[in-house]
Amino acid sequence: MSQVTEDDQLTRLQEALDGAATGGIAVSVVAGVCLVGAFASFLLSMPFTVPFLLGFVGVTAYGWFAHQAETARTLMFVATVSTVTVLGLITFYVFLEAAPAFANMGVVELLTRLEQPLWNTETHVYSLVPLMWGTFVTTVLATLVAAPFGVAGALFISEIAPRTVREIIKPAVEVLAGIPSIVYGFIGFTVLNPYMTEKFLLAGQGSLFLAGIVIGFMALPTTVSVAEDAIASVPESMKSGSLALGSTDWQTMKSVTLPTALSGVSAGILLGVGRAIGETMAATVILGTVVELPDPLYDVFGNTITLTSAIAAQYGSAFGLHMNTLFAAGVVLFVTVMGLSIAAQYVEARMQRKLGGDV
Amino acid sequence: MSNRNATRSELVESDTSTYEVIAAATAAVGVLTSTLSFLTLAEIVPFEGGLGGIAMPTVFGAILSLLGVVTIGIGVVSAVGVVETTPDRDAGLVTAGAFGLLWAVVAGLVVSQSLGFGVVVWLPATLAVGVAVLFGAVFPKEDLGSTLPGGALALFAGAVFLTGTVGTGWSWSPPDLQASFTAPVVVPVVGIVGSLVTAWGAAKAHGAFGRRGRQRAAYMAIWLLAALVLTVLLYLLAFVTMKGAGRAFAGIGFGPGLSFNWPFLTNGVSLMEQSPGIWPAVVGTVWLVVGAVMMAVPLGIGAAVFLTEYAEQGRFTQVVEVATNGLWSTPSIVFGLFGYAFLVPRFGNTKSLFAGMLVLSFMLLPLVLITSRESLKSVPDEYRDASAALGVSRWETVRSVVLPAAMPGVVTGVILGVGRIAGETAPLLLVTAGEIFPAKQNAPAVLRSFQVDVVMGPPFLDVSNPALFEASSALPYQLYAIITAGLSSSNIENSLEFAWATAFVLLLVVLSFYAIGIATRTYFRRKISHE
Repeated sequence: MSQVTEDDQLTRLQEALDGAATGGIAVSVVAGVCLVGAFASFLLSMPFTVPFLLGFVGVTAYGWFAHQAETARTLMFVATVSTVTVLGLITFYVFLEAAPAFANMGVVELLTRLEQPLWNTETHVYSLVPLMWGTFVTTVLATLVAAPFGVAGALFISEIAPRTVREIIKPAVEVLAGIPSIVYGFIGFTVLNPYMTEKFLLAGQGSLFLAGIVIGFMALPTTVSVAEDAIASVPESMKSGSLALGSTDWQTMKSVTLPTALSGVSAGILLGVGRAIGETMAATVILGTVVELPDPLYDVFGNTITLTSAIAAQYGSAFGLHMNTLFAAGVVLFVTVMGLSIAAQYVEARMQRKLGGDV
Repeated sequence: MSNRNATRSELVESDTSTYEVIAAATAAVGVLTSTLSFLTLAEIVPFEGGLGGIAMPTVFGAILSLLGVVTIGIGVVSAVGVVETTPDRDAGLVTAGAFGLLWAVVAGLVVSQSLGFGVVVWLPATLAVGVAVLFGAVFPKEDLGSTLPGGALALFAGAVFLTGTVGTGWSWSPPDLQASFTAPVVVPVVGIVGSLVTAWGAAKAHGAFGRRGRQRAAYMAIWLLAALVLTVLLYLLAFVTMKGAGRAFAGIGFGPGLSFNWPFLTNGVSLMEQSPGIWPAVVGTVWLVVGAVMMAVPLGIGAAVFLTEYAEQGRFTQVVEVATNGLWSTPSIVFGLFGYAFLVPRFGNTKSLFAGMLVLSFMLLPLVLITSRESLKSVPDEYRDASAALGVSRWETVRSVVLPAAMPGVVTGVILGVGRIAGETAPLLLVTAGEIFPAKQNAPAVLRSFQVDVVMGPPFLDVSNPALFEASSALPYQLYAIITAGLSSSNIENSLEFAWATAFVLLLVVLSFYAIGIATRTYFRRKISHE
């Protein structure tokens, strides 16, 4: 008797579950189709985006009440896929728009041309060399500021500062990382540029030197934060071991902590460099943004343009091949920074593996 | 016998302490001198007037000479064994190399620029001096090796300033560079270098050289660097506040009746406006942030939950991870280019608020995803197991156990992300930015222009809310616009002040988000560690 009811109950439960599963799958499929439709229609600039979107919303709303677990899972999957899609779209569209510029000049010519004219929007002769040189010089200068100060700051926060000082400084540095770049640019433009003109008797507005220093200070809080995390993650046991052998704090820092945290610290510096390369507003506002190489090349007080500031300064008047060339600058930027990001991730993964053994 | 020994050790001790005092004083003077140099460089201490009637180069010359002599003295006293110190065998290759480099630069500049020799002479001379100093620093014991080269450098610089070779009106134009180096820059910079190398040597002596001395010197250097960084960044905040707060808060108060007035925030710019303000930019930023948060936060959290709770760790999660980090590091201007190529043509070929929201949400997405994932991962597995043991389904567990536990971290991430995108300018230039000085009535009226008559067919979504599809201003763009407008507008009196006030408001908004985010995080961390 009881056996039968139990069986009965089981089958009914099974049926209900099956029903839910099929219902959930149906909802997921319909919602997916609607979303793909909306996306396709948007891609092709067709007028069906809104109806498809409404369909998606309707189906998921129904699914939320009828089959919440499956619907939620589908929605979360969609969210995950959208991240990859966004990166894919960015890559695709930036490369697509840049393609005519590469076709116009030829990839090698566009990236290495040194003869005049370097940049002529009438005859459409372009060279990205001055832009890349500007970015290179500002980045090197910025790294010269951000790397030593960043490592010193990180050591100070995690190893040297007394507890109370650390508890104030650590969040303060993080807050400072939030100062918008346009504010740095504005200060550079209104205060530091005139200062440079007066003290260094510069002829024109702006110099690579100043832009590099300002960007270095901008990247500094990021570098400090990441390097500090790396130094703090060095296991206490390693430091204690060194101290127990009679070395001083500084010897421990120099010979144990820093070498162990080296990968993390360099990841921090790489991230800082990435920020410096991609920094737009400060460079645009501080530099004179003229498309020519400084003469001689190493004249850091000269004026040129960076990949980012070329885009920001010229997009307004650009169309056709000129705009495509700006997109090509974007491609160079994108590829460089992506490479740095992957390098930083690799370095960090190595650190994890290295420290993972004994924690 | 024992009595004699005791006297002797007492004597040595008193000697050592005098020595220590002198070394500490030298280091302190060195640090103070470098501070004075920085203040001079920042024009807080005027260079032209001199200090107390004495010309600046003379002041620095005197201090540097003194520092140099005392530092050399400290080293020599330790080397001849008057006081008991514990120097290492040598000063170390890095130290020697740094001194060699410094001296090589000095020699190169003197021989090529002051004496005017060609490359045939100055290059060998530079190399010779550099190598000589390197060997001079590396061969003797540490006490001499780390004080002599630095002290001599300070002494040399002091002599150059004292003899008037480099006076107040001095300047040097290198043939290759566009810049000239004038005395107001060169004297303090040399002052910084000279005072720091001597202070470093003196700090070593204070710790009696050796391991302790090295630690003293290194700690002093790191304290100084950290102090410098913090001072510069805090000075920057103070400077913007000083310049901008006055205008930003001007005329604030209760107006006619009960209405509250904050002219700088609630006015636009127009001919009739008595006290122009940045209302349209404020509204633009608010809408941009709201829109971006509404799109990015659900996506980011959803993806984070899927990745941590559902997905198998494998190829797919790896791809998503690389994509997320890639998005996170993509320069903002590239997001702008993408919006320009992809979104703008699809929204009627005009820049629009909605395109800005989308682009900013793409920028916000990786940050929300990364921080949410971190905090989801930090939810202990016991929570999930306990819930599962009670027979709760996976989704119910996620909804009522995991997500609430991870919420603080998620919220913090969102707040920090909002701070970042609120100050973002570059992408807005390409996809959103409109007028340079918008009037009050041109502020985006998103709420008022929602139209209920949704048309299902073509054309697009924009039927429902035209305000979303018009160009708009935003706080960071407003600041950029003032700069490009050449800091002058016929409608704004004293637009430099206006610009500083805008910068101040922008800083206030962005840093408030950061401060709130970090405070929240600290609060929840403390709470968790107390539990």
